[in-house]
Amino acid sequence: MSGAVTNRVLLAVALALAAVYLFPLYWMYVTSLKTQSSIFAVPPEFLPGAPQWDNYATIWEVANIPRYIGNSLVIASGVTLITALIGSGCAYVLARYRNGWIDAALFAVLMLQVLPPSLMVTPIFVGFASVGLLEYPRFATILAFSAKTMPFFVILCRAAFMTVPRELEEAALVDGNSRVGAFFMIVLPLARNGLLISALLVFMNGFGEYVYSASIIADNRLQPASIGMTNFLQPNVVNWNAIMAFAATYVTPILAAFVLLQRQIVNGLTAGALK
Amino acid sequence: MTYQIELDRVEKHYGRFHALKEISLAIPKGQFVALVGPSGCGKSTLLRSIAGLERITSGTLRIAGEPVNDLPPRKRDLAMVFQSYALYPHMSVRDNLTYALRLKGVSRAERARRAEEVAAVIGLETLLDRRPRELSGGQRQRVAMGRAIIRQPRAFLFDEPLSNLDAALRVRMRKEVRALHDRIGATSVYVTHDQIEAMTMADHVVVLQAGRIEQQGTPMALYDRPANRFVAGFIGSPAMNFMPGVIAGDGRAVRLALPGNPVLETAIAGTPGLEVEVGIRPEHMVLGPLDAPHAVPLVVSAVETTGAASYLFTEGEPELIVTTEGTAAIRADDTIGVSIDPARVHLFEPETGASLRSAKL
Repeated sequence: MSGAVTNRVLLAVALALAAVYLFPLYWMYVTSLKTQSSIFAVPPEFLPGAPQWDNYATIWEVANIPRYIGNSLVIASGVTLITALIGSGCAYVLARYRNGWIDAALFAVLMLQVLPPSLMVTPIFVGFASVGLLEYPRFATILAFSAKTMPFFVILCRAAFMTVPRELEEAALVDGNSRVGAFFMIVLPLARNGLLISALLVFMNGFGEYVYSASIIADNRLQPASIGMTNFLQPNVVNWNAIMAFAATYVTPILAAFVLLQRQIVNGLTAGALK
Repeated sequence: MTYQIELDRVEKHYGRFHALKEISLAIPKGQFVALVGPSGCGKSTLLRSIAGLERITSGTLRIAGEPVNDLPPRKRDLAMVFQSYALYPHMSVRDNLTYALRLKGVSRAERARRAEEVAAVIGLETLLDRRPRELSGGQRQRVAMGRAIIRQPRAFLFDEPLSNLDAALRVRMRKEVRALHDRIGATSVYVTHDQIEAMTMADHVVVLQAGRIEQQGTPMALYDRPANRFVAGFIGSPAMNFMPGVIAGDGRAVRLALPGNPVLETAIAGTPGLEVEVGIRPEHMVLGPLDAPHAVPLVVSAVETTGAASYLFTEGEPELIVTTEGTAAIRADDTIGVSIDPARVHLFEPETGASLRSAKL
């Protein structure tokens, strides 16, 4: 098979996989604009005949969207702040030193990445309850989820720091800078893109966080949007178009950010992989 | 006398690895010192220890008379030029040049003035607003030099600064770096693995091997009176020829293990019968007629010609190199007559490698 044909076949496979993966997204937007009856129409309507824009206005008021998304923002920002502050220092050390302890630490960090939140949530809940952290449920969620995003952030940032040659830092030291000064004036600006992208990914993760919020935050007024959405699932009625309108409102900003920044994100993810 | 840089029995260990062994070195103000040796000999470690990028394990390091063992690099007031130049990629040439001044709190106007001044010295006036990645290798090298000069430091440290340049540019920069050193009356420590760079640029050459100073002195002292076999073989190009020999006669002659077993009257005294290693530089073996007195007949195995000189490689063990001027009309398998200048012969103890001459002098 010639190279051109292979490429076309591979492209077709990629498009097919993308279609399978993106179809739910499309279905979410379409359903959010349908009426209750047309949702269950057979055969299904792939384009809504009469778009029900009212669905959005209704759920905005009924479902307390501003409050839920506000809570999601608080949790995502808190997680990003804690992860970036602690994680970048940690990543820098892991990038600059090379010995047995560092290898052990890296292995431990990778192991943390493996543990799923659903496994961790019970011990964390019990631990937090015993020290009284559940009094501040959003903060407790931020702490718990930061521990989850930290390994991911540290591994990505370490790659970003490793692309900054050590000699630049040494040149700055000889030029009259302190270790800390050299970090902030030389290393940080040069690793900036990788750091920003990693932080952005952490933020998006935090924005969609579900497992910890669901277990730790009992008070409806403090719950994030990921939980708020499930309020439409009631034992007898499921308000599909409202749920989908809620979901669309929730993910569209994230999607927009991702599409706008996708070139930088891909660069940030692969930076350091080649060197 | 206070020296600009003074090392007194400096040692450096990395865990179990002994990188620097009892290094003592005194560099007067204005001197250009080259640290030279094969890779892994500790020359870069020594330079980095002077800069403060490595902590020395024991011994004393003084700069302008002041012990600096515990001072961080920024308090030592030294400038360093790195092999990779280490220019800050996110800053313009101007900002690269003035970075150290900015850290020192020099005013903006003064910084601008000094940047123009230094740019004129290194010939980069028109490139001040460029980023390092927009410069050629030679220009980057100049920026690295300029960044060192602008600070007017107590000494300059160079870590193989010319090794990334092509051959022609390297020869030109060699001269320029030395001229710059003389013009600003600097004190310089220059690390290189290239003995020609060391010989041509430095006032004082320090030869290192396995973390130890093998010999130090003026370039010509190292060339004429190498203290041991290592220095004799390291300094000079092509490298010195070595062959076995035996002290003969009353101790002032040596019999060479070459065809005809020639006996040379040397100025070096030794114990008759002692086996020695004899060193003769290729340029001190003179081509002559085969029937001349003391001429050694040698068979040529290969000829390398550079135009200005030809290198004749001989058959047999050990292989010898003979240098002649110009292009010789000699081919492989020809037999040549070689006379050896007895005054230019070096004798070394086979076990220790020490020169017999230095033992007697």
